[in-house]
Amino acid sequence: MPEAQPRNIVEQFFQTMRGMLEGPVVFVREKIVEPNQQHYPWYHQKFRRVPTIDQCYNDDIVCYTEANFQYKRDKQVENEILSILRHRFEDCMMYEAPDHAEKCKDVLKQYEDATTNWFIKYGDLGAYHNVKMAYMKQKHRMIWERRHGPVGSGMKQEENE
Amino acid sequence: MIFSALRKLKSHPTFHAILRRTYCDHRTFPLQPSRFQWIKFKDLMYFYIGIGVIPLTIITFVTNVFVGPATLSDIPEDYTPKYWEYYRNPITRVIARYILSDPQQEYEKYLHCMFEESERAALLKIEEMIKNRMEKKCDYQAYYYRQVLAKYYRIQRYNAEHLKETRGD
Repeated sequence: MPEAQPRNIVEQFFQTMRGMLEGPVVFVREKIVEPNQQHYPWYHQKFRRVPTIDQCYNDDIVCYTEANFQYKRDKQVENEILSILRHRFEDCMMYEAPDHAEKCKDVLKQYEDATTNWFIKYGDLGAYHNVKMAYMKQKHRMIWERRHGPVGSGMKQEENE
Repeated sequence: MIFSALRKLKSHPTFHAILRRTYCDHRTFPLQPSRFQWIKFKDLMYFYIGIGVIPLTIITFVTNVFVGPATLSDIPEDYTPKYWEYYRNPITRVIARYILSDPQQEYEKYLHCMFEESERAALLKIEEMIKNRMEKKCDYQAYYYRQVLAKYYRIQRYNAEHLKETRGD
């Protein structure tokens, strides 16, 4: 984006200062550095999908280890996704400053849903957990839901009959 | 030829004064403040600049100007990148390529170790179960059982065959 023309002498002064600082740096970069650099690629590693923990046999350590590594990678990805959604909400809030309550509702709802889902899947497991603990957490949650209804509706009392 | 030149140098007039006056003059201790801190400072400064600053600056300059960082690109079809091509900085690539080992290889080695340990654990589990059962029921002559190790029998057989071949019946 080209810079706007200076409207007065103060802006002219600051633009001259900026030019003085940027000039040598840009000159060195464009004339000395860029022509001599080599161009070669680097890639993002793509990992193949392996069977998840629910497809492994009980005593299959190899399957379990691979599922564990895949789980850790997926958890990192989900952390980053949550971080991006959080940044989106914060940027929206900072931009819309006085009336962010109405304007950022969708973004906030998306972020809150993502946080809830993240907590359902990974929350309360501790810092040093493995894929089996997460799987067991899901199993316990499903059993609880089968006995007491959806999460958040409270435990049913024992009926005396 | 060299020694004759050095011999002539020894009898040069400039050395006469030094050689003659060192041990018979009125020698005193020079009364001046200690220059230790200044000399030590110079030592350390030259050391850290000569061993640290200059080589690192040269390396950084050469890698950033003449080699440059890599550009992120899509993996082309039917090409699996080498394991050092997943890094951007050229120094990191060199370290990954020549010093560290292939992560894929290490991963597969680790899986194999896990498998072997799991096999060993399964065997141990069965042994423990048998011992436990024998202890509980007390109906097996485990106390009197001595395990036959085939290893020593094999050694004996090998030696016997060797002797038979060399010495005959």
